[in-house]
Amino acid sequence: MKHRHSIVFWAGVAIFLAAVLSMTQIVRNEYPFFAGYVILQFIALAVAWSILGGYAGYVNFGTNAFFGVGVYTAVALFKATGAPLVVQIAAAAAVGLALGFGVGLLTLRMRGIFFSIATIALAIIIETCVMNWRFVGGAAGIQIQRPPVMAPFDSYVKMLFFVQAVLVVIAVSTARYIQNSRIGRGLQALRDDELAAECTGVPTLKLKLVACMISGALISAAGAPAAMYLQYADPSSAFNLSYSVSALAMALIGGTAHWIGPVLGAILLGSTQQLLAVTISSEVNVLVLGIMLVLFVVGAPKGIIGLLRPRYRLRAGGKP
Amino acid sequence: MKRRTFLGGAMAVAVVGQGSRALAQQPPIKIGMSMPQTGGLAGGGKASLLGIEIWRDDINAKGGLLGRKVELVVYDDKSSASETPAIYSKLVDVDKVDLLFAPYATVPTAPIMPFVKQRGLLLMGNFSFQVNSKVGHDMWFNNAPWGPADSWAASFIDLAQKAGGKNMALLAADQEFAQNLALTARDVAKKRNVPVVFDQSYPPNTVEFASIIRGLKAAKPDIVYVASYPPDSAGILRAVNEIGIGDDVKVFGGGMVGLQFAAVMGNLGSLLNGVVNYNTWLPEPSMYHAGTKEFFEVYTKRAVEAKVDPLGYYLAPYGYAMGQMIDAAVNATKSLDQKGLAKYLRENEHKTIVGPIAFSADGEWKESATVQAQFRGVVDKDIEQFRKPGKQVILYPDKLKTGTLVSPFEAARK
Repeated sequence: MKHRHSIVFWAGVAIFLAAVLSMTQIVRNEYPFFAGYVILQFIALAVAWSILGGYAGYVNFGTNAFFGVGVYTAVALFKATGAPLVVQIAAAAAVGLALGFGVGLLTLRMRGIFFSIATIALAIIIETCVMNWRFVGGAAGIQIQRPPVMAPFDSYVKMLFFVQAVLVVIAVSTARYIQNSRIGRGLQALRDDELAAECTGVPTLKLKLVACMISGALISAAGAPAAMYLQYADPSSAFNLSYSVSALAMALIGGTAHWIGPVLGAILLGSTQQLLAVTISSEVNVLVLGIMLVLFVVGAPKGIIGLLRPRYRLRAGGKP
Repeated sequence: MKRRTFLGGAMAVAVVGQGSRALAQQPPIKIGMSMPQTGGLAGGGKASLLGIEIWRDDINAKGGLLGRKVELVVYDDKSSASETPAIYSKLVDVDKVDLLFAPYATVPTAPIMPFVKQRGLLLMGNFSFQVNSKVGHDMWFNNAPWGPADSWAASFIDLAQKAGGKNMALLAADQEFAQNLALTARDVAKKRNVPVVFDQSYPPNTVEFASIIRGLKAAKPDIVYVASYPPDSAGILRAVNEIGIGDDVKVFGGGMVGLQFAAVMGNLGSLLNGVVNYNTWLPEPSMYHAGTKEFFEVYTKRAVEAKVDPLGYYLAPYGYAMGQMIDAAVNATKSLDQKGLAKYLRENEHKTIVGPIAFSADGEWKESATVQAQFRGVVDKDIEQFRKPGKQVILYPDKLKTGTLVSPFEAARK
């Protein structure tokens, strides 16, 4: 049963990547890649956020901290050594992992709301540090000259679109693996009742740390290409709180019990945001996110997947 | 049945109506841009957009460009750098706009500079600061009167040195624009052998400036250069008012953002007196050119319903001037060819409601026309007073001068 699910999943991944790659080769108009990149970025962020925020129920408001760290790792590395994009992403993931470990060690002993507050503080602390780091432009920001694009892509944005799609696949397969493994079951146990889980032998702190590290690494990795996408970085944009709000909203609207939830939520909200940005384009698009969130919290507390499967429960070896 | 008849009738009317006009009418000329309408830059963005919209209505009343109507395609970039690449790609690749204007301010503009360079597109800049210095796009023209990068700080330090200032204190917000100003101020001070006796940056959202101002006062500077953002500008002036700044200080201000906006000015009132600060347009006799007065008559009416800055001095006329420059270039070259337009803009001087504009190779104004003006005789709780000349006396540049510096700062505050 589980084996068959895996075949279906990986076949889906292969089809997705093939579709993305052929799209970069066929479609001439660049706009879908600009907009698509942003949507893919949010899928990766929402899925990564959900590993700690969904499975373990530890609401992390520090997505923007990890994201900004990813951006600035890429900027610093590129400025210092001219490292290629893959190296920038790998380095960002490593820094995100280390940051996740450090933050987790300091804050994961706190419960619920206190953890959330600590993560907000984290973002502010790191942003302040970056602002005073002249090498990466400090508060004034920094403009970056992209290197030439690599074959088979004819424009850098198309390449970034494909790279971000690969990051989505990595994030989703990681989330899926965790969900179906001992880690996922342990996280779910501590989400339901941490004390009981601890008493029955679940190593709660260790599991939370692992979740925080993986989540952090994935968020930072998803943030790294943003430096090349924008060809510019400034602290207020890189550490923008909207990344935290969006990732959280997407995961909650999609449903956090299963990895497919954040994916659906991010596709729905991300496309809506991109669409509103180029249609209504005023205060209204800021409002829509809030209204959607309220509607879902009131009408569908389990998110989209809860609507699709009313009595949906996370099962070991769950759906593909 | 009824509905069908109605629809048929409507269709027929539409077709007939279209038929007679379609012969004479070409498609509109589309000018695309993003504009911060939410987020921190929204106040400025909306005022700037109103200036551009007034130009659009004026040009269409005159019969448009090349006999075609002008249409604006505007999206909100939420004051963020991360929104603009996708927006400008949509404008160029999907909406197929004919011309591009940049969003207000540096942060949303910076990410699109490489994009327009790569596509070989003309971009009219909108108040960004040194955004083309690294990119080197030869089809970029900034509407803001900054001129050469260091002229801003240089003008202020000039004034202060003439008033007897020997050393300088520097106070800057940890924000993109303020830090850029602080960098040039340090450079200019070094070149002029003006020692910097106090140099501090403070984090954004700082509300209490008492301790910083005390530290600054203790350094006994003659010149105080402040590069701040709207909320801090108010906080700094309140702290100065409470604590005082010492009798040594000859000149105070320079790069305070926010003191150009009606809401902030009205809020601070008499606390503004004596401050010397940068501005772009002021209702002083030297600043009126052909069309300026008419522009502000329209702006003042329309600002009320658009709920934007009631004065609109800082950005709006420059939005209008962007349009005037495009108008001149399109009419001279009789085309929308981007290269031809850029060539014309680079080689000629353009008459606008903010005065003549000529560009140097980097797309900035050849000569700075950023004014340094001193607040005088400002009273509390009155926005209308700022419409009268004499409330902000222009000290620099000489060609626009309408008064002389009152110094030291403590005397000027009275």
